[in-house]
Amino acid sequence: MRKIVLPGEKISDEKRFIPYTFLEGNSVYAAVLGMLDEEGRYVPLESVYRPAAEDVVVGIITDSRHSGYDIDLNMPYPGFLSSRETRADFNVGDFVMGVVRVVDEVGNVDLSDVRRLPKGEIISFPSAKIPRLIGKKSSMINMIKEKTGSDVVVGKNGYVWISENDIPLVLRVINTIMQKAHMSGLTDEISKFLDEHKIDKNSVRIGNSIEFTIQK
Amino acid sequence: MFEGEHMAGTTDKQLIIDGKRTDGRTIDEIRPLRIEVGVISSADGSALVEWGGNKVLCGVYGPRECIPKHEASPYGALIKCRYSMSPFASLSEHGRSGPNRRSLEISKVIREVFENLIIAENFPKTQINIFIDVLQADGGTRVASITAASAALASAGIPMRDVVSAIATGKVDGQMVVDLGKDEDNFGQSDMPIALSHRKKDILLLQMDGLLTKEEILKALDMAEKSCEKVHEVQVAAVRKIYESAALSEQKISL
Repeated sequence: MRKIVLPGEKISDEKRFIPYTFLEGNSVYAAVLGMLDEEGRYVPLESVYRPAAEDVVVGIITDSRHSGYDIDLNMPYPGFLSSRETRADFNVGDFVMGVVRVVDEVGNVDLSDVRRLPKGEIISFPSAKIPRLIGKKSSMINMIKEKTGSDVVVGKNGYVWISENDIPLVLRVINTIMQKAHMSGLTDEISKFLDEHKIDKNSVRIGNSIEFTIQK
Repeated sequence: MFEGEHMAGTTDKQLIIDGKRTDGRTIDEIRPLRIEVGVISSADGSALVEWGGNKVLCGVYGPRECIPKHEASPYGALIKCRYSMSPFASLSEHGRSGPNRRSLEISKVIREVFENLIIAENFPKTQINIFIDVLQADGGTRVASITAASAALASAGIPMRDVVSAIATGKVDGQMVVDLGKDEDNFGQSDMPIALSHRKKDILLLQMDGLLTKEEILKALDMAEKSCEKVHEVQVAAVRKIYESAALSEQKISL
């Protein structure tokens, strides 16, 4: 039985490093709300994103300066892209994806390999549940891309970019994953849902529902 | 002088008759407690506590950019707490709403409770805001606030070393009781709110109005430990419920 654990609950008597836990004496305790399975594996369910080098992130350009760009990364402080790292010109409000180059001791993030994302939408997703949205060997995200025909970029910082193709359907799927991230068999459920709601090429989608079908 | 403005008073009325208190509880019984987590969708974590006649709403934000910037610490997140009583929350016993001596004091003691629990060093230059609004007051709002804030912080994913539960203890009609209501608080001999962390049983808050002997304080601590256990159970159930309700929902996909 999977168990929801609260901060301060014991996870293991074995002294080992597990993310989002802390060590006291010879025991490991949960630091955030998480899930503990039968084998003693601990998965956080709610957490605050802490950047690490080589993370792929999605962001929004918030400021353009001579020295570089400030990028909103869904964190307390904006990430920074130095002009030395890029030749491209960005405008404030552009959606971008990039790689974390370095994080300093006070949490400032420098980015590299930043490129612009086409028109679309960015939504924020709880960063602890990102692994579930990606799935084992990207199974979940690849399936969503394939079945909706939308392009999706998942940033580890919790921003998810969706291409313009079919945003409402992708949003519904992503919302479900957010709510049910702690449950098993999610990929199958989403797969079934997407098969039922596959885009009919002849229908016109307005808002969240298919309003009418074009008769040929 | 407002009508009924007595912080501590005396009454001819007997508050405990045959071991039963004015609302029919025994001396170690707590009032009905209900906690709901995730009530504010835009907050990172939130909780609503309904405890007897108290209604307390708590929203947690952060870690986020520290404002004003000169207060930011490179060593960790700053914890800020604001306890506030609503103008309609039964004010006669508490003076007035808005920032005042009483609410500043309670904000400070609640902040200190969570400064001892939150692992703040992971988030330099940021702040964590705990906003507590008392919507309805009936004695013991500070312990209800701590109970709400603890559940809200846990659901916000802010790393903590422990979960805290709080309970008011006190002396009424010469007997030690837990979870004092408004009348017991005002007309009892003494009241002593206590906040205990669940795992280590650390005393994170202990204040006292009135007088108690050493034996009475030890008795109160013992009673508080047992009552905090009950409060903790409700907190855990409330946090787990948000995940269990997702599992039970018949609605397959929702937006």
